[in-house]
Amino acid sequence: MTITLGHYLVLAAVIFTLGVFGIFINRKNVIVILMSIELMLLAVNLNLVAFSSFLNDMVGQVFVMFVLTVAAAEVSIGLAILVSYHRLRQTIEVEDINLMKG
Amino acid sequence: MIITGLCFYMFSTVIIASAVMVILSRNPVHSVLFLILAFLNSAGLFVLLGAEFLAMILVIVYVGAVAVLFMFVVMMLNVNFSAMRAGVLQYLPTGGMIGLVLLAELIFVISAWQATPAGLEVLASPTPINVTNTKALGDLLYTKYFYLFQAAGIILLIAMIGAMVLTLRKREGVRRQRVAQQVGRKRQESVEIKKVTPRSGL
Amino acid sequence: MNPVSDFFLILPELILLGAASCLLIFGVFRTTNADPGVTRLAVVFMGVSLVFVLAIAGDEKMIFEGLLITDRFGQFMKALVLVGAILTLVMGHGYREREGLMQFEYPVLIMFASLGMLLMVSANDLMSLYLGLELQSLPLYVIAAFNRDSERSSEAGLKYFVLGALSSGLLLYGCCLVYGFTGSTSFDGISAALSHDNTPSTGVVVGMVFLSAGLAFKVSAVPFHMWTPDVYEGAPTPVTAFFAAAPKVAAVALFLRVLFDPFGTMISHWQQLIIAISIASMLLGAFAAIYQTNIKRLMAYSSIGNIGYAFVGLAAGTEEGIQGVIIYMTIYLMMTIGSFGCILSMRVRGQMLEGIGDLAGLGRTNPLMAIALAAMMFSLAGIPPLAGFFGKLYVFLAAIHVGLYPLAVIGLLTSVVGAFYYFRIIKIMYFDEAKEVFDKPIGREITVVVSLSAVFVLLFFVYPTPVITGAANAAAALFP
Repeated sequence: MTITLGHYLVLAAVIFTLGVFGIFINRKNVIVILMSIELMLLAVNLNLVAFSSFLNDMVGQVFVMFVLTVAAAEVSIGLAILVSYHRLRQTIEVEDINLMKG
Repeated sequence: MIITGLCFYMFSTVIIASAVMVILSRNPVHSVLFLILAFLNSAGLFVLLGAEFLAMILVIVYVGAVAVLFMFVVMMLNVNFSAMRAGVLQYLPTGGMIGLVLLAELIFVISAWQATPAGLEVLASPTPINVTNTKALGDLLYTKYFYLFQAAGIILLIAMIGAMVLTLRKREGVRRQRVAQQVGRKRQESVEIKKVTPRSGL
Repeated sequence: MNPVSDFFLILPELILLGAASCLLIFGVFRTTNADPGVTRLAVVFMGVSLVFVLAIAGDEKMIFEGLLITDRFGQFMKALVLVGAILTLVMGHGYREREGLMQFEYPVLIMFASLGMLLMVSANDLMSLYLGLELQSLPLYVIAAFNRDSERSSEAGLKYFVLGALSSGLLLYGCCLVYGFTGSTSFDGISAALSHDNTPSTGVVVGMVFLSAGLAFKVSAVPFHMWTPDVYEGAPTPVTAFFAAAPKVAAVALFLRVLFDPFGTMISHWQQLIIAISIASMLLGAFAAIYQTNIKRLMAYSSIGNIGYAFVGLAAGTEEGIQGVIIYMTIYLMMTIGSFGCILSMRVRGQMLEGIGDLAGLGRTNPLMAIALAAMMFSLAGIPPLAGFFGKLYVFLAAIHVGLYPLAVIGLLTSVVGAFYYFRIIKIMYFDEAKEVFDKPIGREITVVVSLSAVFVLLFFVYPTPVITGAANAAAALFP
C-alpha cells in the first residue's frame, strides 16, 4: 500500500473538480460559491505540496505559503463586497444578481 | 508504510466527503463547518508529505481566520435558509457533465507524470537534508524569495484598505474613546461636591 | 546578487509603493477633504515613476535571483500602463467630485493597482506572476464596487470578484501543473526543461492551457469575457475607463511574456488556441455590439473585439507579430482614453447619461467634442489615415507574412461589421435632432486629456517613428 504522487494528484483533481462543480450548480447562495473557490485553492495547495515533496524541492512549499496569504486576502475582500452588496439589496441569491443583462 | 497508507485513505476520504457536503448542504453554516473539516484533514495530509510548517499554518490561517470570517459573515447576513437550495437539481446535469469531463481530463493528465531527468536538473531549491521543515522554509523565504514576501505583505495591506473602504460607515452619535481627554481630565470637572442637608432630599 | 543595483532597477515600483503608503497615511490623518490633494499628489508621483521607467536603461537584467526581469519590452509596456493610469485618474476627477466619490482611498488603490501591473509586466517566475496579478486584481475588485450606494456598482464588483477569483483558481492550477511537470517555477527553468525534448508532456500542455485561460480572463478574450459588459456598465465611469486602459495593457504584456518566454518552444501548441480565441473575440466584438444602447456596454464589446485584433499579431508568433501587438495596444490605449473622456462629459443638468441616443445632435451643440469623438470612432473603425488603421495594418500584415490568411480575412470582415456601429454613433451625432444640450464646460482635465488623445489619433501618421521603433525594440527584447 505505497502511496505515490499519483494518489495525491488524483485527490487534488477530485477536490478541484468539486470546487468548479460547486460554482456551476450553485444558483442560490454566493457565500457557497466563495467556499467552492476556497476548495479549488485547497486542491492547488495539495498539488504543490505533493510535487514539492516528491521532487525534493522546497519551491512548491514556498509557493503554498503565498497562495495561503493571497487566498486570505481575497476572501476578506470578497466578503466585504458581499456585505456591501447585501446592505443594498438584502439578498445574496445568485439569481437576483441580474440588474444588468449580459 | 501501512500506517501511512491508512492515514492517507482516511484523510482523503474525509476531505472528499466534506467537500461534497460543502457544496451540497442546505445550510451555509454547515457548509462552513464541513470546509473546516476538509482543511483540518488536508493539514493531516501535509504532515504526511513532510510539510509540517504549512500544516500548522493551514490550521491557523484557514481554520482560525478564514473559516471564522466566513462564519461571521454567514451569521451577519441573516440569510433565509429555508428558501435556499430549491433549484439544485435543475443545474445538476449540466454541472455534473462539466465536472466529470474536467475530472477525467485531469486524471488522464496526471497519469503522465514522471520525474523527468530534464526536470530534475533545474530544481531551484532542493530540500536540504537534516534541516527541519520550518527552518528550510524560513531560509528560503527571507533570503531568496524576500521580494515575494514583501509583495505578499502589500497584498494584505490592500485587503485591509479594501475591506475598510467597502464596509466602514461613519455613524453619527457614536461615543468614541479619547484617551488623552479621558486621562487628562481634572477632578473638578468630574466630581461635584454637594452639601446635602439632612432630611431635606436633593 | 547585488542588492543595491537590484533596488535601483525597480526604483519606479519603489516610488509608487512609497508614495502610495505615504499618501495613505496622509489621507488617514487629514480627516476632512483629503482627496483632491491626494489625487494630485498621486498623479505627480505616478509621473515621477514614469520618468524613472523611461530613464533607467532598458537592457535585459535579472532582479532578485531571477524573480523579476527588466528589459525593453517591460520598459515600453510599463510606460504605457502608467500613461493609462495617470490619464484616467486625471480625467475621472470631475466625475468623482460631482457624484460624491471623493474618498482618498481611490487614488491610493489606483496606485497600488498600477504597482501590481508594473510587477506583473516584469514577472519572470510563476510566483511573481501570481503575486503581481493578485496585487493588481484585488484593488480592481474594490474600485469596481467603489460606489457603495449604487446597486449596479456593488453588483459589478461582486460579479467581477467571483469570476476573477475563479480565473485565479484556474491560473493557479495551471501554474502548479507546470511546476510539477517541469520541476521549476522560474520562466528560464521552465523553458530549459522544455527545450530538452521536442514533445512536452501532456501535463505541461494542460497546465499551459489552464494558465492561458486564467490570463484570457484578465484580458477579457472570448470564452472568458462574460464579466466585461456587466462590469463596464455597472462600475462608476472613471473606474470603467481605468479598467479599459491600464489593466488590459498590463495583462496583454503578461500574456505575451508567458507565451514567448517559458512556453516559446511550445508555439505549435498554443498557436491554435490563440487563433481560436482571436477569431471568437473578433466575431463577438463585432456582432454583439450592434444591439447595444448603452455606450459603456458598447465600449465593453469594442474592447473585446480589440483584444481579438491584437491577438491576430500574437497568433502569428513572430517578432513582427509582437511588434504589431505592442503598436496595437498603444493605439488602443489612446483611443479608449479619448472615447471615455467624451463619455465622462455626457452630462445634462448634472445627471450623467450613458445612452447612445443621448449623443444626438452633438455635432451642432458641441462641435469640438463631436469632432474628437468622431475621430475616436473613425479610428476604432480603422479608417486611414487615423491611428487605428495602422494598428490593424501591422497585426494583419504579421499574420499574412506567416500565411495565416483566413485569420486576416476574418479580421477584415469583422472590421467592416464593426465599422457599422462606430459609424452609427457618428450618424447620431451629426444627423439626428438634438434632444438636450450637454452641460458646459466639460472640465479642464477632460478637455486636456481628450485633446491629447485626439491629437495622437489624428496625427499619428505624420510622425509614427517613436512608437514604431519603440515597439520594434521591445519586440526584439522579448523574441528569443
